[in-house]
Amino acid sequence: MAAESPTSVRKVVVHLRATGDAPILKQAKFKIPGTDKFAKVIDFLRRQLHRDTLFVYVNSAFSPNPDELVIDLYNNFGFDGKLVVNYACSMAWG
Amino acid sequence: MCLATLEVFWTVIEVMMDVCNWDGTVSAKDFRIGALSFAQKWESLNSAFPPWSWVPCPKHSWLASHELLQEEGYLSLENICISRPNEEDIDQNSQTDPGEEETSCSEKEDDIDDATLVQSNHHELHYCDFHVVYSYTFRVPVLYLRAYCSDGRPLLLDEIEKELPACSSKELPETKWAFITQEEHPYLKRPWYKLHPCGTSEFMKLLFLGGDTAQPKLEVVLELYLLSWFSAVGQVVGLTIPCKMLNDR
Repeated sequence: MAAESPTSVRKVVVHLRATGDAPILKQAKFKIPGTDKFAKVIDFLRRQLHRDTLFVYVNSAFSPNPDELVIDLYNNFGFDGKLVVNYACSMAWG
Repeated sequence: MCLATLEVFWTVIEVMMDVCNWDGTVSAKDFRIGALSFAQKWESLNSAFPPWSWVPCPKHSWLASHELLQEEGYLSLENICISRPNEEDIDQNSQTDPGEEETSCSEKEDDIDDATLVQSNHHELHYCDFHVVYSYTFRVPVLYLRAYCSDGRPLLLDEIEKELPACSSKELPETKWAFITQEEHPYLKRPWYKLHPCGTSEFMKLLFLGGDTAQPKLEVVLELYLLSWFSAVGQVVGLTIPCKMLNDR
C-alpha cells in the first residue's frame, strides 16, 4: 500500500511485463514520478520495442486510459510496492 | 480416494478449468447483466460523461429457448460532441507545433464536457452516438458508432477519423484487434460503423488471464467483463473510464 505522501515527490516503481509473444525488455523495471501520465509508460514501451501497436493492461483486467496519473494507477492496482504493466504485441493468447 | 473426495477433486478441477479453458466470450444473459452494472457504475463514477441508457428490444419467438426469452437490448450513449477545438481558428497561417500533440492522447474529457466546449464560427460541430450491442455470432459486446453534424448529415469514416484519430487504421494496432467496418445496426437496420469484434475474445483472454496474479474465478470474470472490455475499446473512440471504476478498494 502506497504511503500517503505528496504526489509531487513520490516516484512509482513500474515493472513492465511481456505477455504472449511480446519481446522481453532488458530494462523492465524503472521509477517514474507519480504525477506523470500513463501515456509516458506507453510511449516508453513503444520506443523500447520499436513498435507503435501495443496492447497494454494492468493486472486487474484493465487497459488504463493514457491520461491517468501513474500514482492513481499505483494506488488502485499496485501491489508489493510496484505497478505491474503487462504488454502484448499480438492478440494471440497462450 | 473415496468417492466424496473424488467428487470434490473434480469439482475443483472443473472450476479451475472453467477459467483456463475460457474462450473469452460471454453469454447474452451475462452481457445484459454486465451492461446494466456497467451503466450504473459509469453513472456514479464517470460523471464527466452523460449516463448510458439500456434500450430494450423485445423479441418474440416460438422457439422457447431460454436465451430468446430473455429481454434483448443494447446500451446507448448519444449526442456526444466529438469535435476538437479547431486549430484553424487559432491562427490560420501558422504551422502547428509538431511537439505539442505527440505525447498524450487527445483530451477527450475536455472535448466532450459541454461546459468547456469550444465553439467557433468556422467549425461545424460533430456529434456521435455510441451503442454497445451483443453479437450472437461472436458472443461478445460490439461498439457501434454513428457520427453526424448538427444539421443531421452523417459523417463519413474519414471525417470521423479526424475527430477520433485513435480509430483510424493508421493508429489501431497492426494486428487489427479492433478495426472499423460499416454494417447495418442489428436493431435499427440503418448503416452504422462498428469496431469489428473478431479480435475481442482474444484480447479479453489476455486482459483476464495474461497478468501475473492468481487466476480469477469465472464468475468474477463475467461480472467484470463489460468494464474490462470497455476500458480497451472505449479508448479507441475517446470514451475513457477512470481506473476507480474497476476497483472497489
